Amino acid sequence: MKPLQFISLLDIKARMGLKSEASKLYLSYLWWVLEPILWALAFFFVFEILLAFGRDLFFILCGKVPFLWFSKSVTNGSGSIVSGKSLINQTNVPKHFFPYETVQGILYKQWLVFLVLLGLAVIFGYAPTWHWLWLIPLIIVQYLVILAVTLLGALLVSYVRDVRILINMSMLFLMFTSGIFWDLSRISDPIKRDLLITWNPLAYLIDAYRKVIMYNTMYDVSHLLAVAGVFFGAIVLLHVIYHYKGQAIASRVINS
Amino acid sequence: MSDGQILLSAKDLEFEYSSRVWGFKRLTYPVLKGMTFDVRRGETLGIVGRNGCGKSSLLRILNGVIAPTGGTLIEHKGMTRILLTLGLGFDVHLTGRDNAMLSAMLQGYSRERARASLEDIKEFSELGDFFERPVKMYSSGMRSRLGFSTAMKTEVDLLLIDETLSVGDQNFNRKAEKAMMEKINSDQTVIFVSHSGKQVNKVCSRAIWLEDGQIKAEGDTKSVAREYKQFMDALSKQGGKTAWAS
Repeated sequence: MKPLQFISLLDIKARMGLKSEASKLYLSYLWWVLEPILWALAFFFVFEILLAFGRDLFFILCGKVPFLWFSKSVTNGSGSIVSGKSLINQTNVPKHFFPYETVQGILYKQWLVFLVLLGLAVIFGYAPTWHWLWLIPLIIVQYLVILAVTLLGALLVSYVRDVRILINMSMLFLMFTSGIFWDLSRISDPIKRDLLITWNPLAYLIDAYRKVIMYNTMYDVSHLLAVAGVFFGAIVLLHVIYHYKGQAIASRVINS
Repeated sequence: MSDGQILLSAKDLEFEYSSRVWGFKRLTYPVLKGMTFDVRRGETLGIVGRNGCGKSSLLRILNGVIAPTGGTLIEHKGMTRILLTLGLGFDVHLTGRDNAMLSAMLQGYSRERARASLEDIKEFSELGDFFERPVKMYSSGMRSRLGFSTAMKTEVDLLLIDETLSVGDQNFNRKAEKAMMEKINSDQTVIFVSHSGKQVNKVCSRAIWLEDGQIKAEGDTKSVAREYKQFMDALSKQGGKTAWAS
Protein backbone atom coordinates (compact mmCIF):
# COMPACT_ATOMS: atom_id res chain seq x y z
CA MET A 1 0.00 0.00 0.00
CA LYS A 2 1.38 3.38 -1.02
CA PRO A 3 1.76 6.06 1.69
CA LEU A 4 -0.83 8.35 0.13
CA GLN A 5 -3.32 5.53 -0.20
CA PHE A 6 -2.62 4.54 3.38
CA ILE A 7 -3.35 8.05 4.63
CA SER A 8 -6.49 8.36 2.53
CA LEU A 9 -7.82 5.04 3.76
CA LEU A 10 -6.80 5.90 7.31
CA ASP A 11 -8.70 9.15 7.19
CA ILE A 12 -11.89 7.66 5.82
CA LYS A 13 -11.80 4.60 8.05
CA ALA A 14 -11.17 6.66 11.17
CA ARG A 15 -14.02 9.02 10.36
CA MET A 16 -16.39 6.19 9.62
CA GLY A 17 -15.34 4.53 12.84
CA LEU A 18 -16.33 7.67 14.74
CA LYS A 19 -19.64 7.75 12.93
CA SER A 20 -20.23 4.11 13.77
CA GLU A 21 -19.27 4.59 17.41
CA ALA A 22 -21.44 7.68 17.79
CA SER A 23 -24.43 5.92 16.27
CA LYS A 24 -24.32 3.36 19.07
CA LEU A 25 -24.78 6.00 21.76
CA TYR A 26 -27.83 8.09 22.58
CA LEU A 27 -25.74 11.20 23.24
CA SER A 28 -23.42 10.29 20.34
CA TYR A 29 -20.92 13.09 19.63
CA LEU A 30 -21.73 14.90 22.90
CA TRP A 31 -19.70 12.29 24.77
CA TRP A 32 -16.46 13.61 23.28
CA VAL A 33 -16.73 16.67 25.48
CA LEU A 34 -18.84 15.25 28.26
CA GLU A 35 -16.38 12.52 29.18
CA PRO A 36 -13.32 14.62 30.12
CA ILE A 37 -15.52 17.06 32.02
CA LEU A 38 -17.14 14.29 34.06
CA TRP A 39 -13.71 12.85 34.80
CA ALA A 40 -12.45 16.19 36.01
CA LEU A 41 -15.53 16.65 38.20
CA ALA A 42 -14.96 13.26 39.80
CA PHE A 43 -11.34 14.13 40.50
CA PHE A 44 -12.36 17.51 41.82
CA PHE A 45 -14.74 15.88 44.25
CA VAL A 46 -12.11 13.53 45.63
CA PHE A 47 -9.02 15.71 45.70
CA GLU A 48 -10.47 19.11 46.43
CA ILE A 49 -13.68 18.61 48.30
CA LEU A 50 -12.64 15.54 50.29
CA LEU A 51 -8.85 15.84 50.47
CA ALA A 52 -8.42 19.60 49.98
CA PHE A 53 -5.30 19.53 47.78
CA GLY A 54 -5.83 23.20 47.08
CA ARG A 55 -6.15 23.08 43.28
CA ASP A 56 -9.03 24.38 41.26
CA LEU A 57 -11.12 22.40 38.82
CA PHE A 58 -9.29 23.81 35.82
CA PHE A 59 -5.93 22.65 37.11
CA ILE A 60 -7.22 19.09 37.14
CA LEU A 61 -8.92 19.48 33.79
CA CYS A 62 -5.71 20.77 32.26
CA GLY A 63 -3.99 17.54 33.30
CA LYS A 64 -6.80 15.14 32.68
CA VAL A 65 -7.60 16.18 29.11
CA PRO A 66 -4.12 15.43 27.69
CA PHE A 67 -3.86 12.32 29.82
CA LEU A 68 -7.19 10.95 28.58
CA TRP A 69 -6.03 11.49 25.03
CA PHE A 70 -3.02 9.33 25.77
CA SER A 71 -4.72 6.62 27.82
CA LYS A 72 -7.70 6.16 25.52
CA SER A 73 -5.51 5.92 22.43
CA VAL A 74 -3.18 3.41 24.00
CA THR A 75 -5.79 1.18 25.65
CA ASN A 76 -8.07 1.09 22.62
CA GLY A 77 -5.24 0.94 20.12
CA SER A 78 -3.50 -1.93 21.85
CA GLY A 79 -6.41 -4.24 21.17
CA SER A 80 -6.90 -2.96 17.64
CA ILE A 81 -5.00 -5.63 15.73
CA VAL A 82 -6.66 -8.43 17.66
CA SER A 83 -10.10 -6.98 17.07
CA GLY A 84 -9.34 -6.54 13.40
CA LYS A 85 -9.23 -10.31 13.08
CA SER A 86 -12.02 -10.70 10.55
CA LEU A 87 -10.45 -8.15 8.24
CA ILE A 88 -6.98 -9.64 8.72
CA ASN A 89 -8.41 -13.00 7.77
CA GLN A 90 -9.66 -11.65 4.47
CA THR A 91 -7.01 -9.34 3.17
CA ASN A 92 -3.36 -8.56 3.55
CA VAL A 93 -3.84 -5.08 4.97
CA PRO A 94 -0.74 -3.62 6.65
CA LYS A 95 -1.07 -4.48 10.32
CA HIS A 96 0.06 -1.11 11.63
CA PHE A 97 -3.03 0.25 9.97
CA PHE A 98 -5.15 -0.85 12.95
CA PRO A 99 -3.36 1.07 15.73
CA TYR A 100 -3.06 4.04 13.39
CA GLU A 101 -6.78 3.93 12.80
CA THR A 102 -7.58 4.06 16.51
CA VAL A 103 -5.10 6.85 17.18
CA GLN A 104 -6.43 8.81 14.22
CA GLY A 105 -10.07 8.47 15.30
CA ILE A 106 -9.26 9.73 18.78
CA LEU A 107 -7.18 12.54 17.32
CA TYR A 108 -10.22 13.75 15.39
CA LYS A 109 -12.15 14.02 18.62
CA GLN A 110 -9.29 15.58 20.46
CA TRP A 111 -9.13 18.89 18.61
CA LEU A 112 -12.67 19.61 19.77
CA VAL A 113 -11.82 18.61 23.33
CA PHE A 114 -8.81 20.95 23.28
CA LEU A 115 -11.00 23.76 22.03
CA VAL A 116 -13.42 23.18 24.87
CA LEU A 117 -10.48 23.12 27.30
CA LEU A 118 -9.29 26.49 26.05
CA GLY A 119 -12.82 27.84 26.23
CA LEU A 120 -13.02 26.73 29.84
CA ALA A 121 -9.63 28.34 30.49
CA VAL A 122 -11.15 31.67 29.51
CA ILE A 123 -14.14 31.06 31.77
CA PHE A 124 -11.79 30.25 34.65
CA GLY A 125 -10.01 33.56 34.13
CA TYR A 126 -6.93 32.62 32.10
CA ALA A 127 -7.00 35.15 29.30
CA PRO A 128 -5.95 33.85 25.87
CA THR A 129 -2.64 35.15 24.56
CA TRP A 130 -0.39 34.45 21.60
CA HIS A 131 1.66 32.44 24.02
CA TRP A 132 -0.93 29.69 23.66
CA LEU A 133 0.48 28.93 20.22
CA TRP A 134 3.27 27.13 22.10
CA LEU A 135 0.66 24.43 22.69
CA ILE A 136 1.04 23.30 19.09
CA PRO A 137 4.52 21.75 19.52
CA LEU A 138 3.29 20.09 22.71
CA ILE A 139 0.34 18.54 20.91
CA ILE A 140 2.53 17.31 18.06
CA VAL A 141 5.04 15.71 20.42
CA GLN A 142 2.28 14.14 22.48
CA TYR A 143 0.90 12.68 19.25
CA LEU A 144 4.29 11.09 18.57
CA VAL A 145 4.39 9.65 22.08
CA ILE A 146 0.89 8.24 21.70
CA LEU A 147 1.66 6.73 18.31
CA ALA A 148 4.85 5.02 19.43
CA VAL A 149 3.31 3.55 22.58
CA THR A 150 0.16 2.41 20.74
CA LEU A 151 2.13 0.78 17.92
CA LEU A 152 4.22 -1.07 20.48
CA GLY A 153 1.20 -2.05 22.57
CA ALA A 154 -0.76 -3.39 19.60
CA LEU A 155 2.24 -5.39 18.43
CA LEU A 156 2.78 -6.97 21.85
CA VAL A 157 -0.90 -7.72 22.38
CA SER A 158 -1.15 -9.42 19.00
CA TYR A 159 1.56 -11.83 20.14
CA VAL A 160 0.68 -12.20 23.80
CA ARG A 161 -2.77 -11.08 24.82
CA ASP A 162 -1.84 -11.00 28.50
CA VAL A 163 -0.02 -7.75 27.82
CA ARG A 164 -3.37 -6.04 27.61
CA ILE A 165 -3.91 -6.52 31.34
CA LEU A 166 -0.50 -5.02 32.04
CA ILE A 167 -1.27 -2.06 29.81
CA ASN A 168 -4.49 -1.34 31.68
CA MET A 169 -2.60 -1.52 34.95
CA SER A 170 0.16 0.76 33.82
CA MET A 171 -2.41 3.32 32.73
CA LEU A 172 -3.60 3.56 36.30
CA PHE A 173 -0.02 3.81 37.51
CA LEU A 174 0.70 6.54 34.96
CA MET A 175 -2.40 8.41 36.00
CA PHE A 176 -1.07 8.71 39.54
CA THR A 177 2.47 9.57 38.49
CA SER A 178 1.76 12.16 35.81
CA GLY A 179 0.69 14.99 38.07
CA ILE A 180 -2.93 15.24 37.05
CA PHE A 181 -4.27 16.27 40.44
CA TRP A 182 -1.01 17.45 42.01
CA ASP A 183 1.74 19.77 40.90
CA LEU A 184 5.21 18.55 40.06
CA SER A 185 6.60 21.08 42.50
CA ARG A 186 5.09 19.01 45.30
CA ILE A 187 8.01 16.61 44.87
CA SER A 188 10.52 18.35 47.10
CA ASP A 189 13.54 16.25 46.15
CA PRO A 190 14.83 17.70 42.83
CA ILE A 191 16.54 14.44 41.89
CA LYS A 192 13.32 12.50 42.17
CA ARG A 193 11.51 15.19 40.23
CA ASP A 194 14.06 15.07 37.43
CA LEU A 195 13.83 11.31 37.35
CA LEU A 196 10.08 11.48 36.97
CA ILE A 197 10.28 14.04 34.19
CA THR A 198 12.91 12.01 32.36
CA TRP A 199 11.14 8.69 32.57
CA ASN A 200 7.56 9.80 32.33
CA PRO A 201 7.17 12.13 29.36
CA LEU A 202 3.51 12.54 30.25
CA ALA A 203 4.40 14.23 33.54
CA TYR A 204 6.59 16.62 31.59
CA LEU A 205 3.96 17.25 28.93
CA ILE A 206 1.13 17.87 31.40
CA ASP A 207 3.30 20.28 33.35
CA ALA A 208 4.16 22.03 30.09
CA TYR A 209 0.48 22.36 29.11
CA ARG A 210 -0.17 24.06 32.43
CA LYS A 211 2.81 26.35 32.07
CA VAL A 212 1.48 27.61 28.76
CA ILE A 213 -2.23 27.87 29.53
CA MET A 214 -2.29 28.79 33.18
CA TYR A 215 0.98 30.43 34.12
CA ASN A 216 1.99 32.07 30.85
CA THR A 217 5.50 30.70 31.23
CA MET A 218 7.68 28.67 28.91
CA TYR A 219 8.52 24.99 29.11
CA ASP A 220 11.93 23.46 28.53
CA VAL A 221 12.10 23.28 24.72
CA SER A 222 15.27 21.19 24.56
CA HIS A 223 13.59 18.52 26.67
CA LEU A 224 10.64 18.57 24.29
CA LEU A 225 12.95 18.08 21.33
CA ALA A 226 14.63 15.17 23.06
CA VAL A 227 11.26 13.52 23.71
CA ALA A 228 10.27 14.10 20.09
CA GLY A 229 13.53 12.57 18.84
CA VAL A 230 13.31 9.45 20.99
CA PHE A 231 9.71 8.70 20.12
CA PHE A 232 10.13 9.47 16.45
CA GLY A 233 12.98 7.00 16.39
CA ALA A 234 10.79 4.46 18.11
CA ILE A 235 8.06 4.94 15.51
CA VAL A 236 10.49 4.36 12.66
CA LEU A 237 11.80 1.22 14.32
CA LEU A 238 8.29 -0.08 14.92
CA HIS A 239 7.40 0.54 11.28
CA VAL A 240 10.31 -1.63 10.25
CA ILE A 241 9.17 -4.40 12.59
CA TYR A 242 5.59 -4.17 11.33
CA HIS A 243 6.84 -4.30 7.77
CA TYR A 244 8.75 -7.53 8.23
CA LYS A 245 6.38 -9.20 10.68
CA GLY A 246 3.09 -8.47 8.91
CA GLN A 247 2.21 -12.03 7.97
CA ALA A 248 3.57 -13.43 11.22
CA ILE A 249 1.24 -11.13 13.13
CA ALA A 250 -1.66 -12.24 10.93
CA SER A 251 -0.94 -15.87 11.61
CA ARG A 252 -0.73 -15.19 15.35
CA VAL A 253 -4.03 -13.35 15.33
CA ILE A 254 -5.86 -15.89 13.18
CA ASN A 255 -4.68 -18.90 15.16
CA SER A 256 -5.32 -17.48 18.58
CA MET B 1 -8.16 -16.69 -22.18
CA SER B 2 -4.91 -17.62 -20.53
CA ASP B 3 -1.98 -15.67 -21.93
CA GLY B 4 0.46 -17.88 -20.12
CA GLN B 5 1.94 -15.24 -17.84
CA ILE B 6 2.51 -16.70 -14.41
CA LEU B 7 0.71 -14.79 -11.68
CA LEU B 8 1.53 -17.03 -8.76
CA SER B 9 4.08 -19.75 -8.45
CA ALA B 10 4.17 -22.10 -5.48
CA LYS B 11 7.14 -24.32 -4.85
CA ASP B 12 7.19 -26.99 -2.15
CA LEU B 13 4.66 -24.99 -0.23
CA GLU B 14 4.38 -26.12 3.37
CA PHE B 15 2.29 -24.86 6.21
CA GLU B 16 2.30 -25.90 9.80
CA TYR B 17 -0.46 -24.68 11.99
CA SER B 18 0.55 -23.63 15.47
CA SER B 19 -1.92 -22.71 18.12
CA ARG B 20 -1.76 -22.10 21.81
CA VAL B 21 -3.91 -24.56 23.67
CA TRP B 22 -3.52 -23.77 27.32
CA GLY B 23 -0.97 -21.77 29.31
CA PHE B 24 2.34 -22.02 27.47
CA LYS B 25 1.40 -25.25 25.71
CA ARG B 26 1.27 -25.04 21.94
CA LEU B 27 0.12 -27.60 19.46
CA THR B 28 1.46 -27.78 15.95
CA TYR B 29 -0.17 -29.60 13.13
CA PRO B 30 1.16 -29.91 9.60
CA VAL B 31 -1.50 -28.85 7.12
CA LEU B 32 0.27 -28.45 3.78
CA LYS B 33 3.10 -30.85 3.05
CA GLY B 34 4.83 -29.56 -0.03
CA MET B 35 2.75 -28.35 -2.95
CA THR B 36 4.15 -27.17 -6.27
CA PHE B 37 1.94 -25.47 -8.82
CA ASP B 38 1.56 -22.34 -10.94
CA VAL B 39 -1.37 -20.06 -11.49
CA ARG B 40 -1.46 -18.40 -14.88
CA ARG B 41 -3.15 -15.15 -15.71
CA GLY B 42 -6.64 -15.62 -17.06
CA GLU B 43 -7.21 -19.21 -16.00
CA THR B 44 -9.75 -20.57 -13.57
CA LEU B 45 -8.06 -23.00 -11.27
CA GLY B 46 -10.19 -25.28 -9.16
CA ILE B 47 -8.90 -26.71 -5.92
CA VAL B 48 -10.91 -29.60 -4.66
CA GLY B 49 -10.59 -31.63 -1.49
CA ARG B 50 -12.50 -32.89 1.48
CA ASN B 51 -12.90 -31.24 4.89
CA GLY B 52 -9.62 -30.72 6.69
CA CYS B 53 -7.37 -31.29 3.69
CA GLY B 54 -5.89 -27.79 3.94
CA LYS B 55 -8.03 -25.79 1.54
CA SER B 56 -8.63 -22.81 3.79
CA SER B 57 -5.00 -22.55 4.85
CA LEU B 58 -3.94 -22.69 1.22
CA LEU B 59 -6.44 -19.99 0.36
CA ARG B 60 -5.08 -17.75 3.12
CA ILE B 61 -1.56 -18.23 1.83
CA LEU B 62 -2.58 -17.53 -1.76
CA ASN B 63 -4.42 -14.46 -0.55
CA GLY B 64 -1.20 -13.19 1.02
CA VAL B 65 -2.69 -13.11 4.50
CA ILE B 66 -0.23 -15.53 6.03
CA ALA B 67 3.16 -16.75 4.94
CA PRO B 68 3.90 -20.43 4.26
CA THR B 69 6.09 -22.02 6.91
CA GLY B 70 8.11 -23.80 4.22
CA GLY B 71 8.75 -23.51 0.50
CA THR B 72 8.27 -20.38 -1.54
CA LEU B 73 5.42 -18.49 -3.10
CA ILE B 74 6.45 -16.15 -5.88
CA GLU B 75 3.91 -13.49 -6.69
CA HIS B 76 3.60 -11.21 -9.65
CA LYS B 77 4.66 -7.78 -8.46
CA GLY B 78 1.87 -5.43 -7.43
CA MET B 79 -0.79 -8.10 -7.78
CA THR B 80 -4.18 -7.22 -6.28
CA ARG B 81 -6.54 -9.89 -5.05
CA ILE B 82 -9.76 -10.30 -3.17
CA LEU B 83 -11.25 -13.20 -1.29
CA LEU B 84 -14.90 -13.49 -2.10
CA THR B 85 -16.62 -13.84 1.22
CA LEU B 86 -20.11 -13.09 2.19
CA GLY B 87 -19.57 -9.88 4.08
CA LEU B 88 -17.66 -10.91 7.15
CA GLY B 89 -15.78 -7.69 7.65
CA PHE B 90 -18.73 -5.35 7.72
CA ASP B 91 -19.25 -2.71 10.34
CA VAL B 92 -22.93 -3.18 11.01
CA HIS B 93 -23.38 0.35 12.30
CA LEU B 94 -22.39 1.83 8.96
CA THR B 95 -24.49 1.97 5.83
CA GLY B 96 -24.06 -0.43 2.96
CA ARG B 97 -22.58 2.42 0.94
CA ASP B 98 -19.93 3.18 3.58
CA ASN B 99 -19.04 -0.49 3.90
CA ALA B 100 -18.74 -0.93 0.15
CA MET B 101 -16.57 2.16 0.00
CA LEU B 102 -14.24 0.80 2.68
CA SER B 103 -14.05 -2.59 1.00
CA ALA B 104 -13.11 -1.08 -2.32
CA MET B 105 -10.48 1.14 -0.74
CA LEU B 106 -9.04 -1.79 1.16
CA GLN B 107 -8.47 -3.43 -2.22
CA GLY B 108 -6.31 -0.49 -3.19
CA TYR B 109 -8.87 1.75 -4.89
CA SER B 110 -8.36 5.48 -4.57
CA ARG B 111 -11.15 7.43 -2.91
CA GLU B 112 -12.43 8.73 -6.25
CA ARG B 113 -12.35 5.35 -7.94
CA ALA B 114 -14.07 3.71 -4.98
CA ARG B 115 -16.77 6.34 -4.98
CA ALA B 116 -17.29 5.88 -8.70
CA SER B 117 -17.79 2.14 -8.31
CA LEU B 118 -20.48 2.52 -5.67
CA GLU B 119 -23.41 3.06 -8.03
CA ASP B 120 -22.49 -0.11 -9.85
CA ILE B 121 -22.40 -2.05 -6.60
CA LYS B 122 -25.72 -0.59 -5.50
CA GLU B 123 -27.37 -1.52 -8.75
CA PHE B 124 -25.97 -5.02 -8.86
CA SER B 125 -26.92 -5.79 -5.27
CA GLU B 126 -30.51 -4.61 -5.87
CA LEU B 127 -30.52 -3.33 -2.31
CA GLY B 128 -32.22 -0.05 -3.27
CA ASP B 129 -32.87 2.21 -0.30
CA PHE B 130 -31.29 -0.30 2.04
CA PHE B 131 -27.92 0.53 0.49
CA GLU B 132 -28.13 3.82 2.40
CA ARG B 133 -29.13 2.18 5.69
CA PRO B 134 -26.97 0.66 8.42
CA VAL B 135 -26.05 -2.96 7.77
CA LYS B 136 -27.50 -3.96 11.17
CA MET B 137 -30.93 -3.51 9.57
CA TYR B 138 -30.12 -6.03 6.84
CA SER B 139 -31.38 -9.57 6.66
CA SER B 140 -28.65 -12.17 6.27
CA GLY B 141 -29.49 -12.52 2.57
CA MET B 142 -29.09 -8.79 2.09
CA ARG B 143 -25.70 -8.88 3.77
CA SER B 144 -24.55 -11.63 1.43
CA ARG B 145 -25.77 -9.61 -1.53
CA LEU B 146 -23.74 -6.63 -0.38
CA GLY B 147 -20.62 -8.72 0.18
CA PHE B 148 -20.92 -10.50 -3.13
CA SER B 149 -21.65 -7.37 -5.13
CA THR B 150 -18.77 -5.48 -3.56
CA ALA B 151 -16.30 -8.22 -4.39
CA MET B 152 -17.71 -8.74 -7.87
CA LYS B 153 -17.53 -5.09 -8.81
CA THR B 154 -14.01 -4.54 -7.52
CA GLU B 155 -11.50 -5.21 -10.27
CA VAL B 156 -8.57 -7.24 -9.05
CA ASP B 157 -5.93 -9.43 -10.64
CA LEU B 158 -6.88 -12.52 -8.70
CA LEU B 159 -10.28 -13.50 -7.41
CA LEU B 160 -10.39 -16.19 -4.75
CA ILE B 161 -13.67 -17.95 -4.18
CA ASP B 162 -14.29 -20.21 -1.21
CA GLU B 163 -16.82 -23.05 -1.30
CA THR B 164 -20.44 -22.95 -2.26
CA LEU B 165 -21.95 -19.60 -2.78
CA SER B 166 -25.52 -19.59 -1.75
CA VAL B 167 -25.87 -15.90 -1.97
CA GLY B 168 -29.51 -15.04 -1.81
CA ASP B 169 -32.81 -16.21 -3.10
CA GLN B 170 -33.16 -18.15 -6.31
CA ASN B 171 -33.41 -15.01 -8.39
CA PHE B 172 -30.23 -13.44 -7.11
CA ASN B 173 -28.45 -16.78 -7.11
CA ARG B 174 -28.94 -17.10 -10.82
CA LYS B 175 -27.68 -13.57 -11.32
CA ALA B 176 -24.70 -14.17 -9.03
CA GLU B 177 -23.80 -17.36 -10.82
CA LYS B 178 -24.07 -15.62 -14.16
CA ALA B 179 -21.84 -12.79 -13.00
CA MET B 180 -19.34 -15.26 -11.66
CA MET B 181 -19.34 -17.22 -14.91
CA GLU B 182 -18.79 -13.98 -16.81
CA LYS B 183 -15.81 -13.21 -14.62
CA ILE B 184 -14.51 -16.71 -15.07
CA ASN B 185 -14.90 -16.57 -18.85
CA SER B 186 -13.28 -13.17 -19.08
CA ASP B 187 -9.56 -12.75 -18.56
CA GLN B 188 -10.08 -12.64 -14.81
CA THR B 189 -7.87 -15.08 -12.95
CA VAL B 190 -9.90 -17.11 -10.50
CA ILE B 191 -9.02 -19.68 -7.89
CA PHE B 192 -12.07 -21.60 -6.89
CA VAL B 193 -11.91 -23.77 -3.82
CA SER B 194 -14.56 -26.34 -3.10
CA HIS B 195 -15.22 -29.73 -1.59
CA SER B 196 -17.48 -30.57 -4.50
CA GLY B 197 -15.89 -32.05 -7.60
CA LYS B 198 -19.07 -31.42 -9.51
CA GLN B 199 -18.94 -27.70 -8.84
CA VAL B 200 -15.29 -27.45 -9.80
CA ASN B 201 -15.97 -29.37 -12.98
CA LYS B 202 -18.71 -26.92 -13.85
CA VAL B 203 -16.64 -23.74 -13.67
CA CYS B 204 -12.94 -24.47 -13.83
CA SER B 205 -10.49 -24.94 -16.67
CA ARG B 206 -7.89 -26.78 -14.62
CA ALA B 207 -8.09 -28.53 -11.28
CA ILE B 208 -5.96 -29.65 -8.38
CA TRP B 209 -7.07 -32.33 -5.95
CA LEU B 210 -5.71 -31.70 -2.51
CA GLU B 211 -5.54 -34.59 -0.07
CA ASP B 212 -3.69 -34.61 3.23
CA GLY B 213 -1.77 -31.45 2.37
CA GLN B 214 -0.46 -32.80 -0.91
CA ILE B 215 -1.47 -32.67 -4.54
CA LYS B 216 -3.01 -36.00 -5.34
CA ALA B 217 -4.00 -35.22 -8.91
CA GLU B 218 -3.64 -32.27 -11.21
CA GLY B 219 -4.68 -31.28 -14.69
CA ASP B 220 -7.83 -31.64 -16.72
CA THR B 221 -10.84 -30.83 -14.59
CA LYS B 222 -12.92 -33.76 -15.75
CA SER B 223 -10.41 -36.45 -14.89
CA VAL B 224 -9.42 -34.84 -11.58
CA ALA B 225 -13.06 -34.56 -10.59
CA ARG B 226 -13.63 -38.18 -11.58
CA GLU B 227 -10.68 -39.44 -9.56
CA TYR B 228 -11.77 -37.40 -6.60
CA LYS B 229 -15.30 -38.75 -6.86
CA GLN B 230 -14.06 -42.34 -6.98
CA PHE B 231 -11.96 -41.70 -3.90
CA MET B 232 -14.84 -40.17 -1.98
CA ASP B 233 -17.27 -42.89 -3.09
CA ALA B 234 -14.86 -45.58 -1.97
CA LEU B 235 -14.42 -43.75 1.31
CA SER B 236 -18.11 -43.63 2.06
CA LYS B 237 -18.53 -47.28 1.09
CA GLN B 238 -15.76 -48.52 3.36
CA GLY B 239 -16.50 -46.00 6.07
CA GLY B 240 -12.95 -44.65 5.83
CA LYS B 241 -11.19 -42.26 8.10
CA THR B 242 -11.49 -38.48 8.12
CA ALA B 243 -8.63 -36.43 6.75
CA TRP B 244 -7.37 -35.53 10.21
CA ALA B 245 -7.38 -39.07 11.64
CA SER B 246 -3.91 -40.55 11.87
